[in-house]
Amino acid sequence: MRETVYDKIFKPKTYTLSNGKEVKQRASRAPFILLIVLFVTVVSGEVTGVDLSMLRTRGHQFIVILTAMFPPNFNFMNNVWGPLFDTIQMSLLGSIAGALLAIPFALLSSSNIIRNRLLNGFFKLFLSILRTLPTLISALIATFIFGLGTMAGTVAIFLFTLSYIGKLMYEHIENVDMGAFEAHESMGLSKVEAFRYAIVPDVLPTYLSVSLYAFEGNIRFAAILGYVGAGGVGLLLDERLGWRDYPSVGMVLLILMLVVFVIERISEYFRMKLT
Amino acid sequence: MNKAVAQQLEKAPNRKVYLSTIAIILTALIIWSFMGVNITGFDQRGTQIATNIFSGLFSPDLEFLFDFTSGGGVPGLLFETIAIAFLGTVFGSFLAIPISFLMSPSIVSRPVAFVTRLVVIFIRTIPSLVYGLMFIRVTGPGPYAGVLTMSLTSIGMISRLYVDVIENLDRGVLEAMTSMGCTTYQKVRYGILPQLFSSFLSVTIYRYDMNLRDATILGLVGAGGIGAPLIFAMRSYRWSEVGSILIGLVVLILAVEIFSNKLRERLVNG
Amino acid sequence: MIEFKDVNKTYPNGVTALKNVNLTIDQGEFVAIIGLSGAGKSTLIRCINRMHEINEGTLTVNDVNVGKLSGKQIRSFRRKIGMIFQSFNLVTRTSVINNVLISSVPELSWWRKLVGLFPKEKKVEALEALDKVGILDKAYNRVDQLSGGQQQRVALARTIAQNPDIILADEPVASLDPVTAKVVMDDFKRINQETNMSILINIHHVELALEYADRVIGIRQGEVVYDGKSEDVSQDVLDQIYGSIDNVPKMDDPEEAEV
Repeated sequence: MRETVYDKIFKPKTYTLSNGKEVKQRASRAPFILLIVLFVTVVSGEVTGVDLSMLRTRGHQFIVILTAMFPPNFNFMNNVWGPLFDTIQMSLLGSIAGALLAIPFALLSSSNIIRNRLLNGFFKLFLSILRTLPTLISALIATFIFGLGTMAGTVAIFLFTLSYIGKLMYEHIENVDMGAFEAHESMGLSKVEAFRYAIVPDVLPTYLSVSLYAFEGNIRFAAILGYVGAGGVGLLLDERLGWRDYPSVGMVLLILMLVVFVIERISEYFRMKLT
Repeated sequence: MNKAVAQQLEKAPNRKVYLSTIAIILTALIIWSFMGVNITGFDQRGTQIATNIFSGLFSPDLEFLFDFTSGGGVPGLLFETIAIAFLGTVFGSFLAIPISFLMSPSIVSRPVAFVTRLVVIFIRTIPSLVYGLMFIRVTGPGPYAGVLTMSLTSIGMISRLYVDVIENLDRGVLEAMTSMGCTTYQKVRYGILPQLFSSFLSVTIYRYDMNLRDATILGLVGAGGIGAPLIFAMRSYRWSEVGSILIGLVVLILAVEIFSNKLRERLVNG
Repeated sequence: MIEFKDVNKTYPNGVTALKNVNLTIDQGEFVAIIGLSGAGKSTLIRCINRMHEINEGTLTVNDVNVGKLSGKQIRSFRRKIGMIFQSFNLVTRTSVINNVLISSVPELSWWRKLVGLFPKEKKVEALEALDKVGILDKAYNRVDQLSGGQQQRVALARTIAQNPDIILADEPVASLDPVTAKVVMDDFKRINQETNMSILINIHHVELALEYADRVIGIRQGEVVYDGKSEDVSQDVLDQIYGSIDNVPKMDDPEEAEV
């Protein structure tokens, strides 16, 4: 047993068996971890000004908006379709473009396909950094570059999809069993042919499934991108919330919920078929 | 060609119709989505801003980036973001425990599980920014509203992952304990809880990783964190400040991701 | 005919895998290669289709000097040599027939290669190959739904569809249970007798080697220490190949890759 600093402070218990052997049991780390979590919780509470009594006294304000949304303003429905389609189109185009570009990126990151450590490392780092940027922030930056509108939202979704699918795919490709590749080479296939017939069939179902999943999530993201001016149904939410027109907000949310639900079911159906 | 081979050749599954239908639908969707998005390239102004952002990234406002006094600088703002995400995750994961049990078909009856599932889907669909605005009415603008938002929005995913853990419990242990004559309490205490604890913790840490990303955007509606200063800096074209914030954000999220991966690996491998 | 003349092979890390190997194997022979893990069995057969390079000596296969081949020549040379692996090396997420069809890929036009569209006569060939190993009815199943024995027969069908002169098999039955192993060995034997393909098998089940092969080659530390009829293998010969009786591999001892 290797002694760590923790073991020096909290001595392990020693048991002596009837045959004279000694067994050491480490002191449990649970109390220590719990203490840290508690400490961080208290500090975080200080920093953020959490005050639970406020929930009791003013909690009903949360319900106020929620109840104001019911019944939703059904007359507003016709105003929702346009921005909603914008949202779907943005996430569709961004997802497809991102998924396509993720292929070369994933291949360049995979150490078993491109045997160049430097290149692999560079593209892996690039994908990681890209992934750290929250979609809303890249959308915000995109609105400054491409101007307000759907183009900015599409770019933000495209960047996120690229990083998400790129990372998942290179992880998958690096874990592919290269046995079939070797077998194909032994049959006289060239490396490209062996790749096409050994790696592609293995990776393709996962790729399609991950892409569908990314698209599903992107619809949710796209719904709020309008908040920074990047087009779609978020613009409407921003506007109506600003005017405190909560029944219309309720309508937007209701339709959004239905659309997301339907798209998720469809995508789930195809993902089940792929595995 | 013998008869068996000929028969088998005819049995070949014909997926041409299926595949071409999907291809046609997909092409139609792509064309449709191109019609909706007005593709605009870089114009003069956009290129200028893009170069500004890049130069801001490479010449960040160092004073702002390393200002460790409470509040004002990037470290303080990041700390606030970390705290929002942390508390949101802690509250969310506690709230998710009862909900996840109510969602597990192997614990409650199917209708109850289904209804809870619907409620969770309902909670999940409302964008976090809308919750943020709703909570601001409760607490006033500031990080507290962010904490409440995070708690609510993380319930959905955490409880869904908890359900997977509960459904995949190793029942062999319980069988072994029954054979040893353990009571129900003993089975829960020594058979179920140890299994749940580390998996739940792993899920929670994973969610923390995501909450940290989400916490950065709450600032956009005034619910605390580093989002608001970022917007202000951009709107007033202070690119070196934008650069500092972005650098801080990327470094923080990368560091937390690496750390949480290490931690979860240790949890899984003991 | 396969001819090794003073063949030497050393890996870049300094391990000597083959030492002064001289062998002649005629068309249609059924040869078992036995020896300890790491003795060089795997290297020996992988040199024949140039999956590994040799350092010294000459290796001639059907009057072709293997060492002199380059690029495209290697690939067309490999078309005439089939190979079977311990772990089957199939594409598991696709159907059985698609795996067998891969053997005809190099003969397709470029657009067929890209799309993966195989002409009817190739499909018939693939099905006939499956028929020969008795799994015609599984043609449209996905490979990962099959048992290990069935998967190895898919691999065998893939090799037969290639219509090779020689089949190299690297521990083909090591991952199979004893009963299935016999079934697969029976397939090898039948193919050998019906089509006159040469078959070289690396195998660590000595009983199976003696039962099925006509000729046994024993390798110890890269050197051929026995080469003769399988009937003539005695306990002394085995001791010579495996060192002492303690080293004779047990049934479940999987051979590690020799790299």
